[in-house]
Amino acid sequence: MMRWLVIAWAVWLEVIRRKDVYVLLVLLGTLLAVVLSLNVFGLGGTSRYALDVGLLLAWVFGWILAVTVASRQLPDEEERGTVFTLLAKPVTRFDLVMGKYAGSWSVVAAATASFYLLAAGVTAARGGRVDFAALLQAVLLHAVALGVMCGLGLWFSARLHGDAAAALAFVVTAAAFLVVPRAPEFMTRQTGLAAAGLMLLYHLLPHFEVFDMRRRVVHDFGPAAWTDVGLIAAYGFALCACLALLAWTAFRRRRFSRSVP
Amino acid sequence: MVPAIEMRGVRVEYRGGGGVVRALDGLDLTVQTGHVFGFLGPNGAGKTTAMHVLLGFIEPAAGEARLLGEDARRAASRERIGYLPENPDAYRFLTGRELLAFSGRLFRMRGRALRDRVARVLDLVGLDEAAAARRIATYSRGMMQRICLGQALVNDPDIVILDEPTNGLDPFARMAFREIIRGLRARGKTVFFSSHELSEVELVCDRLAIIAGGRLVTEGAASGLVPEGERLERHFMRVVEAARERKA
Repeated sequence: MMRWLVIAWAVWLEVIRRKDVYVLLVLLGTLLAVVLSLNVFGLGGTSRYALDVGLLLAWVFGWILAVTVASRQLPDEEERGTVFTLLAKPVTRFDLVMGKYAGSWSVVAAATASFYLLAAGVTAARGGRVDFAALLQAVLLHAVALGVMCGLGLWFSARLHGDAAAALAFVVTAAAFLVVPRAPEFMTRQTGLAAAGLMLLYHLLPHFEVFDMRRRVVHDFGPAAWTDVGLIAAYGFALCACLALLAWTAFRRRRFSRSVP
Repeated sequence: MVPAIEMRGVRVEYRGGGGVVRALDGLDLTVQTGHVFGFLGPNGAGKTTAMHVLLGFIEPAAGEARLLGEDARRAASRERIGYLPENPDAYRFLTGRELLAFSGRLFRMRGRALRDRVARVLDLVGLDEAAAARRIATYSRGMMQRICLGQALVNDPDIVILDEPTNGLDPFARMAFREIIRGLRARGKTVFFSSHELSEVELVCDRLAIIAGGRLVTEGAASGLVPEGERLERHFMRVVEAARERKA
């Protein structure tokens, strides 16, 4: 087995045994039950509303998991001192970074897929219609977006303390969610440096909005063309590759402090 | 015969405290295969830094380090190495057995060979079935030290590098540790270890080296290094103080 796969497997075991995912799954189930029992704006019990809320929570929980899981991987190794026992084996820093990346990305994607399944299951149980082809596309693109979020967390954590890396990754991803899609609109009202800054942000930050297929699924617009899905996924994979490279570059020459557990 | 460990003119510098701190200052050291080599020095002498250079964690500013003739910076040089760091810790979410299997897989061991080796190592470090099945989070300090030593031995290494391995261990655990070291020596393995426990070092080492201020102060056979009528502790303090005076 390739060494980075062994390291990725350890990330899976850690996340599963820390029980963060179960807590979020239970929380999602509880929130969906509350949504279905309350009658907000006369929408109580509407299956489409439950699916809408369920997928929104899947994005929020996936975001939280991706940033927190990825940002703590490398700093935890140094804090525990286990980075020394790992790198004293024929494990390169590249193996370590790739293993951590693959492990955190795959486990967060799997957890998010389970959130989608729960939301879709609840919707179907309430008699709602779920287009499974569109749902599959939504899960796939969401998984790619999670890879970008994990990559950001990992890159920042290659040089920063885990908490600082997570905080920075939350800020950057939130800005990418909230500011980037509206940047062209803001740019028309700005001139000079502010417009240039917005332009830079628009091109530099990831465009998470292109990975978000919630509306298609909730309003039953049917699946998107697979070529479009493929192009968006290719954009996401290119970002992931860049972030992996940045993380490895930052970690390659890092000098570790000696840990005292 | 290729030496197990070779360091030539190794210099390591850190930036800190408004200047450059020289952690290793042209360290030369050779450890022949099959020896149990005690690496002594006061706090801050550069023992751990030297080990980190050997393991490729730190790239020296000058000089070179070799393990069994291979450049220590290359990951492949660590195929036949086992390392126990100072104050070791492990993945606490794993059981003892899982940790050893994880470590073995990093050496591309698998299947029956891996299972047999894990069982052998558990026996070697004195952890029974019940302990091996428990999460490491529940281990005592002594058990943690044993499982971490286990992960260092899982690949049946030719060179075992141990950084302060007896720190905080009770007398029983120390005795067990000595037995493991003797077992390794009997099988022709090279053991390179640092310790502040001079009595411990006297009991198990064939050769000793003392470093101070990042330089080798003295090196020789354990039986011949200390002058007749002097104890290792006294000799250690004398040579370290003399080295400090020379440097001052």
